[in-house]
Amino acid sequence: VTMEIAKALALGFLFGWMLHKAGLTHYERIVGVYRLRDMTVIQFMLTALVVGAVLLQASVDLGLAKALPIPPTFLVANLVGGVVFGIGMATSGYCTGTVVAQVGEGRLDALLGGLPGLIVGAVIFGLLQPYVMPLVARSAALGRTTLPALLGVNPWLVIVVFGEFVIVVLYAIGRHEGRDKRRPTATASNSVEAPETNS
Amino acid sequence: VRALAVTLIVLVGLTGAAIDARGQCSSSASSCVSCHEAQRLHPVLADGRPWHGDHGFGDLCAACHGGDPVATSKDAAHSGMHGPLVNPEQSCAGCHAGDAVQRAARYRATVAPAPSTGPPAPPSTLGSSGAAPSSSATANRLLAAVAVGLGLLLVVLVAGKRQRIRPLEWLRAKSWSAIVAGAGLGATVTISEAVCGRPISASGAFDKLAAYLGDALFPRSPYYAYVMRPGITWQVWLMLGVLLGSFASAKLARVARVRWLPDAEWVEHFGRRRSVRLIVGFLGAVLMQVGAGIAGGCTSGLAISGGAVLSPAAFVFMAGMFAGGIPTALSWARLRRGMQEKK
Repeated sequence: VTMEIAKALALGFLFGWMLHKAGLTHYERIVGVYRLRDMTVIQFMLTALVVGAVLLQASVDLGLAKALPIPPTFLVANLVGGVVFGIGMATSGYCTGTVVAQVGEGRLDALLGGLPGLIVGAVIFGLLQPYVMPLVARSAALGRTTLPALLGVNPWLVIVVFGEFVIVVLYAIGRHEGRDKRRPTATASNSVEAPETNS
Repeated sequence: VRALAVTLIVLVGLTGAAIDARGQCSSSASSCVSCHEAQRLHPVLADGRPWHGDHGFGDLCAACHGGDPVATSKDAAHSGMHGPLVNPEQSCAGCHAGDAVQRAARYRATVAPAPSTGPPAPPSTLGSSGAAPSSSATANRLLAAVAVGLGLLLVVLVAGKRQRIRPLEWLRAKSWSAIVAGAGLGATVTISEAVCGRPISASGAFDKLAAYLGDALFPRSPYYAYVMRPGITWQVWLMLGVLLGSFASAKLARVARVRWLPDAEWVEHFGRRRSVRLIVGFLGAVLMQVGAGIAGGCTSGLAISGGAVLSPAAFVFMAGMFAGGIPTALSWARLRRGMQEKK
């Protein structure tokens, strides 16, 4: 039991550390991605996805992993939930994980607004669940499946194609940001508390 | 900040000592779901039988099949199991109080011939990822080695191009490139899923904590009675870790301080009033947690952890996030601009 708690704390520590170092505890950064201004969230998520996909598939193939937790796919529920989540995220500038990271950084609005909001939201979902879930979870339920299993191809094919897509996107973002840096007007700070720029 | 952190740690430590945290390495899910579905030992949710599909949104196996959903060994978990049709009227009535009898009659009619008492023999596809046929296992092992090798080469090349990296300064940096931090999260997700068999998930912890409230306020809710039981689970400890990790990162970078000060763009959108920040943040957080509940996870638990195992759910969820988020963020910005023009 103690070992499990220690593992959870250590992994959480790394998660919180990375969130803070990526600057995702800032309202700007989260909302910026939806205003198509700040691509930090995209860079962070896509890199995490590719690195995770490669390492996880490698550890399965090399016999290092037992069984991976595969979330169930309910296409309608996943999409509807994503839309609601996106609206909340773009409004508050929080994300469920970054609220906690913001509290760690000392932000009182996350402690007194965000955290209670998440708890109340969870209770509201609990009350809605018996009515909402049968509507959205019944159709297009694919079970706990993966893209390679659905397509009937080797997982590495999916990983390589996705990886190349990500590299192109990251490269394009890098080029674009390089242009912005040469024209210093674009991200001028009229700020109360500007986010730190990447070194 | 230090006082705040110490208080929090002590509080949570006390809670942890008071509550017997179960040592199951299978998260908030019942052991039924974690073995049958997550480890794919004998998945049933997509077996085409209507009630499994209909009830797949919740962790409901034990309501009909009996057994011990928190036992971690197979024998213990399966002891006390009964056929799903032993008393379907009672099983259904747990949630469908009004029309349990009709529902039970429908199920009786569909499966009358085969009321099995134990789980059927596991199917032959007991593979690890379930996707790779055994003939290509060696090839995949090779591919895996090549991929990891290429990745290491890339890291060495990139690190070699930089001038000397001083580890202490690196840890004290105010920020890292999002790509470096993202790669760090990818590695974290790998350790969590490959070693512990669990996703790095945020929303699950809040569901578990909120269940204390839900269980107390709504004792008749079938969701809190059967699906979401309260508990200080692995995920909750993970979130405490996030708090500490972010605090450590901010502290080392000398940016940790207790503050109300909002970010520049927030002031631009909504002004400086604290109450506005609290209310909008609260409402946004409510929406997020409801959305995460419907989708089955949040940005970390579904999009990143699920996407890393190539689940279609993760990519559909991300598409939804942007479909909902982009119009929202743009309309907040437009609303603000309109108000400024009026002035």
